[in-house]
Amino acid sequence: MRSYLLHIKGKNLWKLCALVVLGIALACCGEQITSVDQPATATVGAVVPITVHCDIPTAGDGGPDYLIFGFLVPKGWKAAQNTTITYTSKQGNGNMTLIPDGTLPKNGGGLTWPAYMKKMFGNGGNLIDDVEWVAYQTDKAYSHTGGVEFIVDLNIKTKVGADNNNMLVKLGYTITDSGNGFTSDGNGTYYSVLTGMNCFEVTGGTGDLVDFCNPQLTTIDPPKSLDNDFVTLTFDGTVTDTHLKGESEVYLCATAYTSDGKTIIVCEQTTKTMLKQTTATSKKYQLTFWPRSFFNVGDTQTITRMEYYLTDKTGKTKVGYGNTDAPFTYTFKCG
Amino acid sequence: MKYNYKAKRIYLALVAVVMLAATSCKTEKIVPGSEAPKNIAGNWRVIKATRNGTDLTSIIDFSQFRINFTDKGYSLVNKLPFLVSKDGAFTLDDPQYPYKITFTATGDKPVSTPFTYPIVNGKRQLSITFSPGCANNTYVYVLEKAN
Repeated sequence: MRSYLLHIKGKNLWKLCALVVLGIALACCGEQITSVDQPATATVGAVVPITVHCDIPTAGDGGPDYLIFGFLVPKGWKAAQNTTITYTSKQGNGNMTLIPDGTLPKNGGGLTWPAYMKKMFGNGGNLIDDVEWVAYQTDKAYSHTGGVEFIVDLNIKTKVGADNNNMLVKLGYTITDSGNGFTSDGNGTYYSVLTGMNCFEVTGGTGDLVDFCNPQLTTIDPPKSLDNDFVTLTFDGTVTDTHLKGESEVYLCATAYTSDGKTIIVCEQTTKTMLKQTTATSKKYQLTFWPRSFFNVGDTQTITRMEYYLTDKTGKTKVGYGNTDAPFTYTFKCG
Repeated sequence: MKYNYKAKRIYLALVAVVMLAATSCKTEKIVPGSEAPKNIAGNWRVIKATRNGTDLTSIIDFSQFRINFTDKGYSLVNKLPFLVSKDGAFTLDDPQYPYKITFTATGDKPVSTPFTYPIVNGKRQLSITFSPGCANNTYVYVLEKAN
């Protein structure tokens, strides 16, 4: 016996150490999205296949837990209604189902799964806050016992562009398990997230182009609103140098198109149309207004869309979409 | 005989105890203090407004906007986006503990919304939540009686 131990110490010490280190490495790594197969572009209404390859090593006995998956998509796609997800693995195949709002995550501080994902990973690099995390879980739980490695592919089929908008958007993916949530401990990190990838492009729609990826000269908050909302128009002079560079305030020059086929123009340089710079050097200018009052529409009229420019104090220098002579456009709609 | 006599005495004592116990508690009738019906009649102004959690109070001029509640009706002065855009009637779901207010603009269908009525710094406030445009855009107006 004694000689055996000595034998290990002497000859196989390195092997033993390597085995121990390898064991720790296997046990520590938690969930991992290894890669995602996602097309670069699709047309409105097309069903797009996306495959998320995941590797879930076992870090000590536990579970069984459900695999949780979060899919970051534009709200306008209504992904919860327009998506199916199946999974395939050595341990079995099955379906991913939507997690009901009543099922709260462990360690989520009372948030729902989508809210927990939004808190952890935000908008995933998208510049407009009009994306949502849709949360799914496996129909069966998987075991963490006996060092089993759960290698699984999530096969997504999602119909894009339910809102009929052309867009550029960064899709996002996250996985974790129901037993841990988005946490880390001595065994490693129990989740993996992949966001901010190449912009996915949707074409062929009849709506506005919504660009989540590239900074825009102007943005409207809330991104989806009607003429009876308060809307905040922001002009961001840091995106590119325009003819309005150095102005302390800029003015809105807008045309509203109404449901009864009328056009109403408000193009003046007064306090009503003035976008104030948020701080003296921010180069960001804002105006919040109530479109119904701003354009003074009648009780029976609604504004369907508006075209606008930004001007200087004289009204002579105009800046339009993409720093061109074409107007910015905004359609008032909710979907 | 001796034993029977003893048992009888114990039995009598038990009956006496039970009777005492039964008559010792007198049910007192508690008259609940009646909560006063909430009276919101008066002229109200916006002291705080948010849109999807963003504070709008300092960037929109709310100073001229008023909601004037009477006994059963309301009127809007210097209109801004609100649950209703025309004058009409209102009801509270419970006059003593209201948590919902229903506005019925003249000629329109009734619309209801959550409603709280706290006392802050000794003053009644009305907090009304609504979506005048897209349903996803939620506004909260906190109102206080205008002097």
